[in-house]
Amino acid sequence: MSEMWINMGPQHPMTHGLWNLRVRIEGELILDVDPEVGYLHRGIEKISEDRHYNEVITLMDRCCYVAGLAWEHLYILSAEQALHIAPPERAEYLRTMCDEFQRIASHQMWYAAFVQDIGLMSPFLYAMRDRDLVLDLLQDYTGARMTYEYMRVGGVRNDLPPGFTDRARKVLDWLTDRFREYDQLCLGSAIFHKRCDGLGILKANDAVAHGVTGPMLRSAGLKRDLRKDRPYSAYDRLEFDVALADGADVTARYLVRMEEMRQSVRILRQVLDWLDRHPGPAIAERLPRWLGAPYAPIGDEGYLLKRSFPKGVGLSSVEEPHGEAQAYVVNEGGEHPYRVKFRSPVFANVSAARQYLVGYHVADIPPIMGSVDVCVGEVDR
Amino acid sequence: MQPEDLSRLLAPKLGDRLRGVEPFVGTAGRVLFDRAGALDLFRAVHDELGFTHLSMVGGIDWVDHREVFYVVWSDAARQYAILSTDVPADDPRVESASPVWPSANWHERETWEMVDVTFDHHPDIRHLLMPDGYTFHPLLRSFKLHEPEELEVKTRHV
Repeated sequence: MSEMWINMGPQHPMTHGLWNLRVRIEGELILDVDPEVGYLHRGIEKISEDRHYNEVITLMDRCCYVAGLAWEHLYILSAEQALHIAPPERAEYLRTMCDEFQRIASHQMWYAAFVQDIGLMSPFLYAMRDRDLVLDLLQDYTGARMTYEYMRVGGVRNDLPPGFTDRARKVLDWLTDRFREYDQLCLGSAIFHKRCDGLGILKANDAVAHGVTGPMLRSAGLKRDLRKDRPYSAYDRLEFDVALADGADVTARYLVRMEEMRQSVRILRQVLDWLDRHPGPAIAERLPRWLGAPYAPIGDEGYLLKRSFPKGVGLSSVEEPHGEAQAYVVNEGGEHPYRVKFRSPVFANVSAARQYLVGYHVADIPPIMGSVDVCVGEVDR
Repeated sequence: MQPEDLSRLLAPKLGDRLRGVEPFVGTAGRVLFDRAGALDLFRAVHDELGFTHLSMVGGIDWVDHREVFYVVWSDAARQYAILSTDVPADDPRVESASPVWPSANWHERETWEMVDVTFDHHPDIRHLLMPDGYTFHPLLRSFKLHEPEELEVKTRHV
């Protein structure tokens, strides 16, 4: 049979977003793949150069539409380093809480989409139902369900509403029981195992060489988690384990993500306890006024002060739900960042597609790409 | 690992192509190198210092010259290091890191189309985020956001 290239995308149920997977096949066998991205490119790095530091936060929510808070956190850490500003401790815990709620919501979104790809409909509904509870909590203190704009250079926008921690604990209790159900629905299903076991194998050596990070890397047995290796915010004061598996296949990635959700619950319980016991300011005092009100006339303080502000460069990395995200912010003394560069974990994970797709069959592509957890917003930025 | 360690380990390999190692908060250091020693540096950093993971490659347009930086990670030291080189604006080219870190492939494609830095011996250089045939380099300072760019839009009538 002759070879041919087929396009899976830009509109294809497998893609979960706007991108195109070009596949060279012979019969059902995959000979080569070539991911095509850029359909969602908005030039976030360029637009950032034209905005004040706190205005970039709006763009960060649009970077990844399932993990907006994690991207805000990433940018804020880098901007604070570049601007020589430190947040209060309570803000660090609040940010950690945001990250972990976001991780659960993102993984539930992944779970819903992934199991639907392999033909199981009810887990999709279960996960979406429970994800709404997490989004309700986020809405409770950020006011939004998807584009939060919650973090600020120097802290977070507002503290928690009254009674929040108790409501959050109830949701965590509910979720703990539901995770057991998720596992029964998937691991107890023969269809799941037939479609996932032994597929999309990516060994640790190849994963490292091709820049793959996050759950995909940990499913190959390599223990790298920036929350442990290079702790930021409050992670060095919290107890949790790094989720690991050794199968390096689709099932292993499933196991890692499920375990990560359980660990997130464990982290969140500690964070909520800490927040109950330690009231305090959620944003640093005496921040430069040009951060908060960039367009307002600031009198003799204003932009002149900014020009005399020290220059700096910030590099930050966070363990985003998809893997290692990184930001590099250059502060050259102007009102805007001089250059902002982001590293998206999914960008690298998708670029390695040849490593985990070639040699399998066309029908294996949906489960394999589903296990990669593609978020096109952050690939294209 | 400290900047002094990087300097001590890399100096014999690179000689005067190593311009210096400066401290950088939260990393092992920022290695400044001459682009003539790019591939030697990459190999030394990857094979001997154990920085096996390339996080990102990026470019900065400083108007009179351009900077290309690489962020690498070592699983053994649990640390980042930054490698940085300056290339002249009229001849912006540097050796590709793809032979050493295959993950550099897409990062360099992006850096080329955004900041107009050519990566010699890159295995597959073509547009990544921008459409084929796009002639601008949006992350150059000369690319202004407020002036509409003149693009010839060809409409295909069926």
